[in-house]
Amino acid sequence: MLATLITAVIDGLDGALIRVEVDVAPGLPSCHIVGLPDAALSEARERVRAAVRNAGYDYPASRITVNLAPADRRKRGAAYDLAIAVGILVASGQLRAGGGPLALLGELSLDGSIRPVAGVLPMVATLVRRGHRRVGVPSPNVGEARLVAGVEAYGLDGLDDAVRLVAGPRGRRAQAATRRPPVLVSAPTAGGLGEVAPPVDPASAEAVDLADIRGQAAARWALEIALAGGHNLLMVGPPGAGKTLLARTIPGLLPPLGPSEALELAVIESVAGLLGPEPTLRRARPFRAPHHTSSYVAVVGGGPRLMPGLVSLAHRGVLFLDELAEFDRFVLDALRQPLEEGTIHLARASGQVTYPARVQLVAAMNPCRCGYDGDPEVACRCGLNEPERYQRKVSGPLLDRLDLRVELRRVPPADLLSSGPAEASRVVAERIAAARARALARNQGLVNAELVGTSLVRAARLGGAARERLSELATATGLSARATHRLLRVARTIADLAGLEAVEEPSILAAAALRSGDGGSLGRLAA
Amino acid sequence: MGGLDPEERAAWISLSLVEGVGLLTFGRLVGHFGGAAPALAAIRAGRLGPLAAELRLRHVVRAALVQAAADPQSLQTPLRRLGLWTLTPLDERWPARLRGLADPPVTLHGWGEVASLEAVRAVAVVGTRRPTPAGRLLASRLGDRLAEVGVVVVSGLAIGIDGAAHAAVVARGGRTVAVIGAGHRAPGPRAHRRLMRDIVDSGGAVVSELGPLAAATRGTYPRRNRILSGLADTVMVVEAPARSGAINTAHHALEQGRNLLVAPGRPGEVRTAGCLRLLRETEARPLIGLDEALADAGIDPRLALAPGPEASPRRHAEPGQEGLGPAERAVAQRLGAGPADLDQLVAATGLAPATVASALGLLQLRGWAQASGATYLPAGPLLAGA
Repeated sequence: MLATLITAVIDGLDGALIRVEVDVAPGLPSCHIVGLPDAALSEARERVRAAVRNAGYDYPASRITVNLAPADRRKRGAAYDLAIAVGILVASGQLRAGGGPLALLGELSLDGSIRPVAGVLPMVATLVRRGHRRVGVPSPNVGEARLVAGVEAYGLDGLDDAVRLVAGPRGRRAQAATRRPPVLVSAPTAGGLGEVAPPVDPASAEAVDLADIRGQAAARWALEIALAGGHNLLMVGPPGAGKTLLARTIPGLLPPLGPSEALELAVIESVAGLLGPEPTLRRARPFRAPHHTSSYVAVVGGGPRLMPGLVSLAHRGVLFLDELAEFDRFVLDALRQPLEEGTIHLARASGQVTYPARVQLVAAMNPCRCGYDGDPEVACRCGLNEPERYQRKVSGPLLDRLDLRVELRRVPPADLLSSGPAEASRVVAERIAAARARALARNQGLVNAELVGTSLVRAARLGGAARERLSELATATGLSARATHRLLRVARTIADLAGLEAVEEPSILAAAALRSGDGGSLGRLAA
Repeated sequence: MGGLDPEERAAWISLSLVEGVGLLTFGRLVGHFGGAAPALAAIRAGRLGPLAAELRLRHVVRAALVQAAADPQSLQTPLRRLGLWTLTPLDERWPARLRGLADPPVTLHGWGEVASLEAVRAVAVVGTRRPTPAGRLLASRLGDRLAEVGVVVVSGLAIGIDGAAHAAVVARGGRTVAVIGAGHRAPGPRAHRRLMRDIVDSGGAVVSELGPLAAATRGTYPRRNRILSGLADTVMVVEAPARSGAINTAHHALEQGRNLLVAPGRPGEVRTAGCLRLLRETEARPLIGLDEALADAGIDPRLALAPGPEASPRRHAEPGQEGLGPAERAVAQRLGAGPADLDQLVAATGLAPATVASALGLLQLRGWAQASGATYLPAGPLLAGA
């Protein structure tokens, strides 16, 4: 007898529909799974047999063939266990499907209970798109399943629940129906949104408030520009200058995620298995700060199951790299593609996937190994060429992607005590949100950092005087075309923060002053 | 050796350019054969043998000498290609200050104005390649003031103190001489290419005793320091750690009987330890201010010589504060009092960071301010008020 069930597989950030066909035929007792299964899937045989028995059903002593179609797609993971088990029950006549069409996702435990799986959100999204609105998922995953609009999701705790669901009211009841009936949780609101998340995200609750940071006017200002325009920012300064502290204010300064952005992020988090049992679409932008010893796979993604890395988990948010020069060179070089294209493409022996990774990079580093190069008070202990060598550890192409660079100095103890209260994060966040909204409206949904070529020039709306000033600057300091564009992008954001329609002279001059520390523009005049 | 003998002069230059022939070998060759031209003739005639053995010349050097003797002109091709002039002690325009040296260079190749080497008054300003903002500012102020009173400033084109001094002179429209420790094909740090052009354009010179193709090595910088101090009457040391090129230059200055002024540092500060040691252990005098420094260098500022007519002030063409808005003026005023970072400027002016930064942008573009890390220094006309 033949049974056919529907389940799904993860392919990058997309789900793909998989048809599970189970045939139970007379013959020597055996079970074959065909259709490009991986190791975890081949082991499904053993899990399914134990789960079926321990849930109180008979495991047919017949020849069982399980086909996963389409056969050419490589399947991985254990999310098919449930569909295979139910298929065996149906094919062996223990269960008659009467509940209407249903797709099943879930890994089985040997005792017949159902364990959560990763990637439920994109898989359910695909199923619904392909017309399978009724979906049974592991109970812990039902929250994320219901993020999908139009779904009729059932949370399942054990094989029994699945059997009852498949059987429907008129079907055969399970032999040991001791558990409570499966809970129906449907997606209530339009647009695929669950409940609105609480306004305070745990990440921002730990965030430092700008009001608690003394001095550092330049760095605060640079950070404000960076967050308003989405510019990648490099902070350079001695230990104890407050680079890390300043970075920890970022979660409290970022504007909230839009609904569609939040869903993109939820999909990535689902694939990474990071969505908790009660997920809501997050409002806070992600802020990820991998340690500088983090491995390539952790940051970039990959591994045997081609999981998304932190650069994808920081999608639409900020990736903070403290001690930039201490990161593995390969990790840093791999960040160039995400910074340029907003995606990361992973090609491995086990397959290829492309994950979104539109991150804003905020990095911090010491000016040299000991950290005190250029410090007015403390003498640097490094050799003469050491600072240059240290900074060269960060490759030129990566530095090119950093629109902003700001030098911090240690705040003298006297300033720590004397200066009045600094501006609070709330105030700065409002300015950032306003500037960002202005930019997004003008740039057709792009932040200023994403402007290039003609779109940049159009967005800048340079007047005659500003144009002249810019070309004077470019000539005087020998700016390359790329550096000029960088300057203009930053100037555009400075103007947005000031609420100006067009980029005027002062914004251009201020942008030039900002990067002057590194010889990027005005620094060349000094030498 | 009287008068100018073109043949001898050409032979002299060619012989000095032979790879592996240093001051010592050159001196023995010229001394033994009675001149550079006779030396080349003798080598051509195969009479190098006994002397070569005595000098223990390596085979490559002997081969190079034989080849040079056969075709002395080709050695000078790089000089022409790079547009260099060459001075030898045979020339009337050989800098008078170098004639008194115990170990003078054999030749001097250069770009720019030979006249800048013959200035009536010349002061060397040297110091560390990694100065504090205060040290950089002092170097700038010295350069600016010395240029203002018509003194030629000699330095080494290195980053740090040297660069600050050169740049300030150029900005003031004065003349400055850079003595480099390598050949002209790869002169000085890359970051100073532009400064080097400015030095030449404003009537100064970039000179080296090394042939144009010579590469910088460990030894070339200490050796060039004797020329650096030798081309000046007074050497001013701004910031120097205990073991540094600036200290080496200072010792050359003392041996050559030059006037030595040293800016003192704070006891215990590594970056100026060498300066304190010089003050304690030599007859160097402390440099405590611009006017005092000029006085100690024997320069009467009232007798200020006008900068050369061909030199015109660069970048900050307009004197005074025309073209500056109130924000620029406020920032300029604070910078005039000394180095400051953005925090301090914001605190001092009460303006928003964006306004201060914009003012700094304009001041830097005009050459009135410059950035050194997070610190901004006054420059150009603001140096006088600093």
